[in-house]
Amino acid sequence: MDFDKMKHAVKSIEMSKEMENRVKANCKNAGMKKSKQIHYKSWISVACAFGIVLLMIIGIPYFNNSGDLQVANFTITAYADLNDDSQLHTNLSAEKATFELGTEDRLDNIGGVATRDRMDTLGGVGGDGPNYIFTNVKLKLTGEEIESITYTMNKGKFIEDVILTVEEANNKDQLVLDKIYIMLREPGSDIYQGIKEIGNTYTVPYNEQDQYEYTLAIPHDDWVVEDDIILSAIVNYTDGNSEQQDIIVMQESNSISLALK
Amino acid sequence: MQQLVWSAERDIERVVDTYGHMLFRICLVILCNEQDAEDVVQDTIIKYLTKSPTFNDSEHEKAWLITITTNRCKNMRRYNFIRKHMDISNLQLYCQDEENYGLLDDLMKLPDKHKFVLLLHYVEGYKVDEIAKILSITSSAVKKRLQRGRELIRNRYEKETEYGLR
Repeated sequence: MDFDKMKHAVKSIEMSKEMENRVKANCKNAGMKKSKQIHYKSWISVACAFGIVLLMIIGIPYFNNSGDLQVANFTITAYADLNDDSQLHTNLSAEKATFELGTEDRLDNIGGVATRDRMDTLGGVGGDGPNYIFTNVKLKLTGEEIESITYTMNKGKFIEDVILTVEEANNKDQLVLDKIYIMLREPGSDIYQGIKEIGNTYTVPYNEQDQYEYTLAIPHDDWVVEDDIILSAIVNYTDGNSEQQDIIVMQESNSISLALK
Repeated sequence: MQQLVWSAERDIERVVDTYGHMLFRICLVILCNEQDAEDVVQDTIIKYLTKSPTFNDSEHEKAWLITITTNRCKNMRRYNFIRKHMDISNLQLYCQDEENYGLLDDLMKLPDKHKFVLLLHYVEGYKVDEIAKILSITSSAVKKRLQRGRELIRNRYEKETEYGLR
C-alpha cells in the first residue's frame, strides 16, 4: 500500500474553474450583504432594552403613586365606620384592606364593624340561606367620566342599616315588603334599628355614592367565611364604555380582608 | 466603505486561490458529494470574512481554515441521513490521475474519523500533534485512528487486488 499514491490521488482533486468562480462570486455577494446587513444578534439586546423602556412608558398610567399596579382607571376605597364615629378607610388600589371582625366586646354594639349578636339572634337575612356576618364595610369609587357603578357579590348580600319608629317596626307587612328582616332596640328606647336587604347587586350613580350607605353581609359557616367570595365593581363611563374590577373577600384570623383581584 | 469592499474582494480572491482547492478536496473526500463540498468551502470562506480572525502566519491561517472546514463537514454529515457516495465516474471529473481512482475511492469509503486523520497526515502533511489540535482530539486518538485507517484502507486495497479489481 503506497500512501504516496493516495496523496497524489487526493492532491489531483481540484475545483473546476467554473466552481471556483462561483464560490468567489457567492462569497463576494455574501460579503456585500454582510456589510449592508444589520447585525441582528448585536441589536437584540438594544431592541430588548428599548422594548422594556417602551413597556414602562406604556405601563406608567397603570401604576399608582405607591408603585402598585393599577389595573383599572379608577380607585376603589373600602370604608368602615368605627365606634368613635371616625372611619377606617383603605385605598384598595394601593393595598389590601383589612377589617377586624366582631369580638365579644362588640356583641351589643351595633356600630361595630361586625355585630355577632345580631347574627346570633336573628340568623340569616331573608330567613333561609346561609348565616351572615354583617360588616360595616362599604365601598366608594373614585374616577373620571364615570356615570354609574354596579356592585355585585357572587356570595353574600348588600345591606343597609335603617332606623324605624315603633309604628314602622310593628308594620310587619311593610317590613317584609321592604325586606327589613332584623330588628333591634336598645333597652328603654323607642327607636328600632333594622337591617334591610338590598340584594347581591345594586347600581349607584357616581355623584350619589354618599347617599348609598350599603354595607357588606358576608356568608359564613360557624364563623368561617366562605371561600371565593368575589365582589365586582362594574364602572359605566359617560362615553358608554364600562370597566370591571373584581375584589376578593377573604378571612384572616379574626378579620376580613378585601383585595383587588 | 468602498475600500472595505475592495479589501474583502481581495481577501476572497486570495483565500480561494490559495486554499480553495485544498479545502475542496478535503470536503469532497469527506462528504463524497460535489455540491455539499462546494457549499462547505463557500461557508468556510464566508466565515473567514465575517470573523476576520488574526493569524500569526500562513500556516496558522491554513490550520484555522481546515478546522472550520472539518467541523462544517462533520455537521453536514450529521444532517445528511443518507450518506452519499460519489460514483467513480463522477470522481474522474476531479481526479486528474486515472491510475489512482480506485485508491481514492477506497479512501472515501472509510469512516469519517479515519478519513480526517489520513487526509491531514498523508495529504496535507500535518504531524500527529498538529492534527490533534486541528481536530480537538488527543494525540493518542490521532495515532489510533491513523493506525486503524491504514489497516482498513490496506485491507480493502489488498482484497480488491486479490479479486483482480485493480
